[in-house]
Amino acid sequence: MEIELSDSDLVIQIRMGNDRAAEAELFRRMAPRIRLYGLRHLRDECAAEDLVQQVLITTLEALRAGRLRESDKLASFVLGTCRMTVLDLRRNTQRRERLLEQFGADMLAPTQSPLPQLDQEQLALCVQKLKERERAVVVMSFYDEQTGADLARFLGVSEANVRVIRHRAIHQLRECMGVAA
Amino acid sequence: MSCVKPVDAAILADYWLAALDQSEEEAVEEHLFACDECGARLREVISLAEGIRNLARQGSLLMVVSEAFLTRVAEEGLRVREYSPRTGGSVACTVTAEDDLLIAHLAADLSGAKRVDLCFCDAGGSERLRLTDIPFDSRAGSVVFQQPITYAKAAPSETLIARLVTLDESGVERLLGEYTFNHTRTLPGPGAW
Repeated sequence: MEIELSDSDLVIQIRMGNDRAAEAELFRRMAPRIRLYGLRHLRDECAAEDLVQQVLITTLEALRAGRLRESDKLASFVLGTCRMTVLDLRRNTQRRERLLEQFGADMLAPTQSPLPQLDQEQLALCVQKLKERERAVVVMSFYDEQTGADLARFLGVSEANVRVIRHRAIHQLRECMGVAA
Repeated sequence: MSCVKPVDAAILADYWLAALDQSEEEAVEEHLFACDECGARLREVISLAEGIRNLARQGSLLMVVSEAFLTRVAEEGLRVREYSPRTGGSVACTVTAEDDLLIAHLAADLSGAKRVDLCFCDAGGSERLRLTDIPFDSRAGSVVFQQPITYAKAAPSETLIARLVTLDESGVERLLGEYTFNHTRTLPGPGAW
C-alpha cells in the first residue's frame, strides 16, 4: 500500500535536492488548487493555466532554495504565492517568459483538471422548475454577474434576501441535478 | 480523507461570484488550498454557473429579465428580437433563424403592487401557464420577459395572449394589462403542433 506523503514530507524531500518524484507529487497536488484560484480571480482558462505554471515554478524555486522554513505551511505558501502572482500578472506580463526561459517548458506539463460535464437539457428543466425570483437571481448572477445590490433593486428586496434566494436556488439545482445539495 | 468542515455549495457560489466579504473569502481560499473535496465541490458549482450562462446565451428560458440583462446580451453581440405591444393592444410578430433571444416589453402601472403574476393564454383567452410572483420594479412601468427562442422558432403561426395581474393580500386578482401576440411562422416546419 502506498503511503501519501504529507505536505511537510514533500517540502523536506524537495529541499534535500533532486527528488523528481516529490516535485511531481507537488505539481499533482497543488496544480488543481491553483487552477481553481486562477479561474476565480482571472476568469479565463488560459490565464488560470499560466498562473498554475508560474506559481509552481516559483514554489519549486523557493523549496529547492530552502526558503520555506516551516515545512507544514506549504498550502499557505502556495496560496500566498497565488495572491502575489495574480497581482504581479496584472502588472507585468513579461515575468512568465523570463521564468520559462530559466526553467524550460518541458517540465510544465498541462495540469488541466476539467470541470464536470452537466446534462444541459436536465439543467434547463431544473432551472425552469425554480420559482420566478430564484430563476432570475441565479441567471442574472451567473450570466451577468450582477451584484447583490443590482439584483436587490430589480427584485425590490434587500441584498441579504438576494443571498438567501440564491442559496436556496443553488441547493435546489444541485438536488435536481442529482448531486448532494 | 473526508473533510471535517465542508464548505457549503452556496457559499462556494458566493465565492465564485465574489460576493463574500474579504475575511470570508480568505477563509474559504485557505480551506480550498488544503481540501480537495471542497475543491471538487467548487468545480461542480463552476460547472453549474457555466451551464446557466450557456442557457442564458441560448435564450432558452422562459423568464422575466431586467434591463441590465438586455444591456449585457447586446454587449455580447447577441441578436435580440423585441416587441412592445401597448396595453390592451396586439402586435404582429415572428422570429428568424438568426435571432438569439426573443423579448417582450409589457407596459403596466405597477405602483402599489405587492405581487404580480404573468399569465399566458391561448387565442380563446384560456389560461395555459402562469409565472407566479414575478420579480418587478414598481417604478419601472413595465415587465420584460423572455420567451424561449427554441419554442418560438418551432412554433406554428398562433396567437398568444399575455396578461399581467396583481393580487392583493386576500388573493383577489386585478388585471394590470393584456397584450396579444399574433405570431406568424417564417421558418420552414409543420403548420401545427
